[in-house]
Amino acid sequence: MSFSTTFYNAIVKRNSVYVSTIFAGAFAFGVGFDLGISKFWDTWNRGKQWKDIRDRYIQKDDAEE
Amino acid sequence: MAGLQGVVKKAITLPCTVRPLSSGVPSAPFLNLAARAPAGHDDHHGHSAHGPRADVPPKWIGGVQKSSSHLLSKTYITPSTIAYRGSRTIHTSTPAKYETPKVPDFSDYKAQSESTNRALSYMMIGTMGVLSASVAKSTITEFLGTLAASADVLALAKVELELAAIPEGKNVVIKWRGKPVFIRHRTQDEIQEARAVDWKKLRDPQPDEDRVKKPEWLVMLGVCTHLGCVPIGEAGDFGGWFCPCHGSHYDISGRARKGPAPLNLEVPPHDFNDAEGKIVIG
Repeated sequence: MSFSTTFYNAIVKRNSVYVSTIFAGAFAFGVGFDLGISKFWDTWNRGKQWKDIRDRYIQKDDAEE
Repeated sequence: MAGLQGVVKKAITLPCTVRPLSSGVPSAPFLNLAARAPAGHDDHHGHSAHGPRADVPPKWIGGVQKSSSHLLSKTYITPSTIAYRGSRTIHTSTPAKYETPKVPDFSDYKAQSESTNRALSYMMIGTMGVLSASVAKSTITEFLGTLAASADVLALAKVELELAAIPEGKNVVIKWRGKPVFIRHRTQDEIQEARAVDWKKLRDPQPDEDRVKKPEWLVMLGVCTHLGCVPIGEAGDFGGWFCPCHGSHYDISGRARKGPAPLNLEVPPHDFNDAEGKIVIG
């Protein structure tokens, strides 16, 4: 049985399953999209964000104290 | 128009409007049955009759009369079907000038079976649904996010305090959202005392463990639950707080013990920042 037939029989055949799959997929897509975009943002702005440069200033504070 | 010498009568051809009479005979008023084709109109088509029409109906079925103002058409009886004596050929379509285009053979493009592209089609529909659901979800989320307090408002709504500045057994009163907040650094004795009380018999039964996050730090709103005065610290019969307005007594855990206060002093949401030794109220 080919993949397409398996896919059809497993997911599409019952509308309830199909719609549930769509909503679950939307949830997973939303989470994945957020993670991906955040990762891309961090990569793009590497070295510019506070969490990247925090070490320098926190260590300096410790040294002063 | 006094100079009008003669009256010219002219037969005109009007568009015939046919309606059936009650007898079933078509009535075509204003129809000039004697009309000729205009001169010089050659018979290109080979179907128009020359001269007066041959199919003029006989007089006995009625006919068209001209009166001074209008044409009158009368039919007296149901006439028999008029037979055309002359041959009358009618063509309704032009001869085909081109060869009829052939319908191409599409059988190569036809799906081989019902399941050939089915999964792909449903996949596309499903993907569309996933994207639409995501868009709808984030639209709603973002819209609700606009109703939430903004970051500057949230920042103002919090108060940070250095805990190391408060010695053991001392009260500190700070202002938070326009209200006083009591922070007491309790001693071990006071903690013991607060926990030894049989809290189930109190007016507003609440164990000390529920009121503090760390036993040595008691954080409360400094507003008497009776009428909203500010109680005095380290006073009253129970070693806690005493409201001078109407004489409510609170114990070392801020619970109402005596007087008109119906409830314990309220505990605001607060959190400890252990790394920096601070307490965050709000």
